[in-house]
Amino acid sequence: MLLAALILTACGSSTNTSKDPIKSAGVLRVGTEGVYAPYSFHDPSQGGQLAGYDVDVARAVGEKLGVDVEFVETSWDSIFAALEANRFDIVANEVTITDERKAKYDFSEPYSISEGVIVTRKDDNSIKSLADLKGKRAAESPTSNWAEVARKAGAEIESVDGFTQAISVLNDGRVDVVVNDNISVLAYQAEHPDAPIKIAAKTDERSNQGFAARKNSGLVPELNKALDELRTDGTLTKISQRYLDVDLSKAAPRSTWQLILDNLWPLARAAIEKTIPLTIISFVIGLVIALAVALARLSSNVILTNIARFYISIIRGTPLLVQLFIVFFALPQIGVKIDPFPAAVIAFSLNVGGYAAEIIRSAIQSIPKGQWEAAETIGLNYVGALRRIILPQASRVAVPPLSNTLISLVKDTSLASTILVTELFRTAQNVAAPTFEFFALYGTAALYYWIICLVLSFGQSRFERRLERYVAR
Amino acid sequence: MTENRVVAEGVHKAFGDNKVLKGVSFTVEQGTATTIIGPSGSGKTTLLRTLNALDRADAGVIRVDDVEIDFSTPTPKSEVRRFQSRSGFVFQGHNLFPHKTVLQNIIEGPVFVQKRPKEEAESEALELLNQVGLAEKRDQYPYQLSGGQQQRVGIARALALKPKLVLFDEPTSALDPELVGEVLSVIKDLAVEGWTLVIVTHEIQFARQVSNQVLFTDQGIILERGTPEEVIGNPKEERTRQFLDRILNPL
Repeated sequence: MLLAALILTACGSSTNTSKDPIKSAGVLRVGTEGVYAPYSFHDPSQGGQLAGYDVDVARAVGEKLGVDVEFVETSWDSIFAALEANRFDIVANEVTITDERKAKYDFSEPYSISEGVIVTRKDDNSIKSLADLKGKRAAESPTSNWAEVARKAGAEIESVDGFTQAISVLNDGRVDVVVNDNISVLAYQAEHPDAPIKIAAKTDERSNQGFAARKNSGLVPELNKALDELRTDGTLTKISQRYLDVDLSKAAPRSTWQLILDNLWPLARAAIEKTIPLTIISFVIGLVIALAVALARLSSNVILTNIARFYISIIRGTPLLVQLFIVFFALPQIGVKIDPFPAAVIAFSLNVGGYAAEIIRSAIQSIPKGQWEAAETIGLNYVGALRRIILPQASRVAVPPLSNTLISLVKDTSLASTILVTELFRTAQNVAAPTFEFFALYGTAALYYWIICLVLSFGQSRFERRLERYVAR
Repeated sequence: MTENRVVAEGVHKAFGDNKVLKGVSFTVEQGTATTIIGPSGSGKTTLLRTLNALDRADAGVIRVDDVEIDFSTPTPKSEVRRFQSRSGFVFQGHNLFPHKTVLQNIIEGPVFVQKRPKEEAESEALELLNQVGLAEKRDQYPYQLSGGQQQRVGIARALALKPKLVLFDEPTSALDPELVGEVLSVIKDLAVEGWTLVIVTHEIQFARQVSNQVLFTDQGIILERGTPEEVIGNPKEERTRQFLDRILNPL
């Protein structure tokens, strides 16, 4: 998050000079959270697809302009970093138009007006107005305008990852208040009538929300024209009725078991399409890197050895999450823009490379010198000796620790959820957000990770037995 | 007059400050067996290893068959490889490849280095295994063999490359006493067949029986060189006598 904030301050903007930039691009890329009901969420009543007020307004704008709309889901605190990194063209996520933001971004005219409310637990009567927030703990997305409101009122901010998390830590009694827009709170209450929370007060602040784009993007005239038409022809009202009339009776909530059953396949698909390929591709590339680094580390060339040492030191000395963010959010600032999946592959491969290099190096060193000499006396050169004599033996030593690396990698791929890869964990988050069924969905995701790792452990022991056929027992 | 298969002139080798070989010169005639004896630390194993460039001499000229290298000047890698390809090497601790079967150990060089057809290499390997009495072990892994059998496979592996010279580094030192005989008798057969052999050994009786020439090394030089009768039977140097006395009458 810190990194994302750093990137924000160091941003540069590109200028688009064409007359109708959106139309000429033929596509409008829209960044949105996907976990902020009723504005941007995966709607269970629409088969779990991305929907919500902001999402549908963005779709309608695309229709008016005659372009395709592509949604990119990202967490709120990375959303401006991703916008700066040109991952998408606009943000449609109830972005409140403030003076500070206007200084950094282009805004369309507002398409929604909201009123802030202060939410507390039902049994808490200590808060009657904004002034009572002084000294209270508030759960907020740290970069949101609601966090700003709470901070100004003297509350301590506990950082969370969006409204869904904020409400659930309030339910659990881990914070005192949540400040957010009234409609998302009402929507939550309609969906969860038994939740132990209430609207304690209004903030008396009305705010306007619009699309945010990079400064000088030139997109605003087209956006505004489309919004005007949507307002005139009643589309905005229609979308707003669909999502924001929270008093309307909604479809009865599904049972937890039904929810799990309905999502078994979507979660499995995310695992099969994203988590597993991400793991396998990164591991294979990582091993190639690791072998090269291990050999460099073992070489008699001082420069090579030191480069390898430096690489291993950097990879092992920095958090994987930071490495992911550097590849995804920081590289675009020096003109290297990589799509989410390949970016994840790069970060994970480099990470595996650093860790596995030391495993491979020590495995190679565990092979007696006599084996190298015997290979030399039968005429094998360095590469031949390595390939035919040393590595086959070293692999027996390296397989158990490398299997650990692989199994860790399976679980580490969940971090890719932070850089827009809709893998297993992110999919579980998407489903959990509107339904608040965290236990059920994260439990299902955990079960899937466990199953994948069980299969890998099984494969590991079979492979080890095969490699041990030439060892005395 | 028979031709020299090995000519070594002024070979020097040091490991750091430790001067192991201090100007060693000798020749080995084609089709003869030469044994190197001497106290431990006298440089005999290092001398053997310089003949295969497993240890590169610091100075001196060594010719093996048709390849001559002056080690005081830089030599291209390919030339060193050519030099190495002229000799086979049998290690004290066999150094068989544990992940390969007996047969795979023997054909590794012929097939993957000399690029000969696998079938041809295999049938030659089987002949060699017959010769060392291990044909029935062809598909076993090294760990399934006794020490003497492992060493005999090591010999077959060295011979499979059809070297002009076979080097033995204390081939029986790591063996249990009852296994020494089977290995020595294989080596003896090779001498009879006319292979050119250089053997570092502590087996004085064996050296006496098998060799045409004996080199006695001491403190990095060849102190005495001659026929077994001369060097072992009637040593001229006091140090040779002391050494032989210690070996032959250890108590």
